[in-house]
Amino acid sequence: MTAVQPSLGESIRRAIQVRLRPLVERWKSFSQTRFGSMVARAFSTNAAWIFLLLLVLMFIFNFLAPGKFLTEFNVRSMAENVAVLLVIAVGETFVMGTGGIDLSVGYVLLFSGVTSAQVMNWGGKDPTNSGWDVVFLGFAVAIGSGFAWGVLNGLVVAKAKVPALIATLGTLGMSWGLAEILSNGQDLRYLPSIIADMGASRVVFDKVPLVVVVAIIVAVTGAVILNLTRFGRYTVAIGSNQEAARRAGINVDRHLISVYAMSGTLAGFAGFMSLAIFTTTTISGHANDNLQAIAAVVIGGTSLMGGVATVAGTTIGVCIPMVLFSGFTILGYQSFWRDVAVGAVLILAVYTDQLRRRRRERR
Amino acid sequence: MRIRTVTMLGLALITVAACSSSATTAPASAAAKNYNLTLIQGVAGDPFYVTMACGAQAEAAKEGVTLNVTGGNKWDATVQKPVIDSVTAAHPDGVMVAPDDSKALLSPLKAMSDAGIKVTFVDTKLDDTSFAVSSIATDNLGGGTLAAKTLAQLIGDKGTVLVVNVDPGISTTDARVKGFQDEMKNHPNITVLDVQFTHDDPTAATTITTATLAAHPDLAGVFATNVQNAEGVATGLKQASNTTVKTIAFDAGPKQIEDLNNGIVQGLIAQDPYGIGVAGIQQTVLALKGQPTTATIQTQLAAITKDNVNDPAMAKYLYKATCS
Repeated sequence: MTAVQPSLGESIRRAIQVRLRPLVERWKSFSQTRFGSMVARAFSTNAAWIFLLLLVLMFIFNFLAPGKFLTEFNVRSMAENVAVLLVIAVGETFVMGTGGIDLSVGYVLLFSGVTSAQVMNWGGKDPTNSGWDVVFLGFAVAIGSGFAWGVLNGLVVAKAKVPALIATLGTLGMSWGLAEILSNGQDLRYLPSIIADMGASRVVFDKVPLVVVVAIIVAVTGAVILNLTRFGRYTVAIGSNQEAARRAGINVDRHLISVYAMSGTLAGFAGFMSLAIFTTTTISGHANDNLQAIAAVVIGGTSLMGGVATVAGTTIGVCIPMVLFSGFTILGYQSFWRDVAVGAVLILAVYTDQLRRRRRERR
Repeated sequence: MRIRTVTMLGLALITVAACSSSATTAPASAAAKNYNLTLIQGVAGDPFYVTMACGAQAEAAKEGVTLNVTGGNKWDATVQKPVIDSVTAAHPDGVMVAPDDSKALLSPLKAMSDAGIKVTFVDTKLDDTSFAVSSIATDNLGGGTLAAKTLAQLIGDKGTVLVVNVDPGISTTDARVKGFQDEMKNHPNITVLDVQFTHDDPTAATTITTATLAAHPDLAGVFATNVQNAEGVATGLKQASNTTVKTIAFDAGPKQIEDLNNGIVQGLIAQDPYGIGVAGIQQTVLALKGQPTTATIQTQLAAITKDNVNDPAMAKYLYKATCS
């Protein structure tokens, strides 16, 4: 009797199995410990993987540009430059968690900045030395403008049943056009100096810009609402299966309106932050804020189909394009390479997410 | 141990003394330190800024300094701010920058200057130029005047004219429009319509042109304040198959020269971006060497029409899409 000779492929497969078995066994026993299960659970989400990617990118850029990339100045600049985007991305996370999308955020931000600045310039007098009352009024108008656009978005999506993509594309054009009409295409260049001081001020040992602290507070609040409150659970429940949510007794229409209103309000808030940072209405700016926010949310692991949303992921998702942007600029690469890199990361992030999802379903 | 420290200190002192004395006695032409400079364009890929980069690159090679060129993909202060911050982090010795807004970019550029980087404004500048080495730009007010005079001549000194501008708050284009409007006050038979803004988007310029033609059939002339707008206006006139409206445009990119030759545009007010790039390097290097600089430099303009476009004297005013 002669033994059947295994094929080459078969023997390689067996060899790998034999080698890998102890590793797999060790991982299995590790993942049964309390700490191990935490690690395992963390890496089953996108947020952990992209956090790893963020660290790797920072490590690479710091290696290629030692003493330039991971400096106090550059880290602070990058944080300051993502602060406004993070605030609108938090709102976008909720909207996308319901399976919707909000394209209007960038121009609602612009509109809110314009109305706010106009109110503070009321009567044509120079507002540079205006007091806190004027600043507070301007802040309230920014928030109110954003809220109004958000409610309109919500009503059109929830009640009129217009697809979110079209509804918010419509309000994108409307808010942009109205911002132009109100301002006559002219940037409002005079604001109370209190606002400029807020934009320039630093807290925590005089190191962290105030706008960054504010953005972090918004993100943490958003994460708490999403993960620990009924509002958050309803948001992902609707995104997961709207009909099921409705039958479970959730007032889906009202909840959708609230979510879009929240996104609009945050955009209004971000508009006021933008006034503080740039000390003018930057009418020619913010054109791509909506797509940047959506990219950040998707890179962070929130599903385009709804039902899965993570504010922590979004926060990292906002940082990755900025790290690439800054890193490439410091290394002196032509500016267009930054867009190529960000685009590639976006696709990679969604692809790995899909892969993991498929593996989970197969199990 | 102590003796060694003292000896080292002494040696160091001698070296410093030697260095400083040799620096003062060395002839001015001696190759300076290899300075690292960066040019931040107003928007990347635009023939005007490409030509400026060509001039800067050529002058940098001549002076023996290294030049890096970067810029945002859009004329937008919110896009340019992170570019400026990253360049500050990279810490070159000197930066030439065309700020996209005269106010919004004050704090990042001030931070750049405070970090010890020499800052020179090329083309556009900030409202506050106190910390800049030099501000080099076209005489834009004069350019606007030149545009008005040329257009008035083309349309026989009467009719309605339209001004197509980029965005408010850009020092250069604002000055062009002011020069144009001021000069037109001397031409009582010409009506100047309200300025239209396009956000540097050629499609918007096209729409504005066709819409204005519909509203004002007596439109006689258009003044486009930059390259993107001129391209959009040309497309708009083409769409309306209009051949009577005379267009005068700022800038002389490859497309504008083609349009001029094809009779789509009748006059071009050309700046000298190559010269701005050259002067930018010169002023920045002077500042780094601790030599006196010129606070404001205004470069020349030329009115290019079909009659003089092939004149060799005009060649330096034509913008390039690539350097060679």
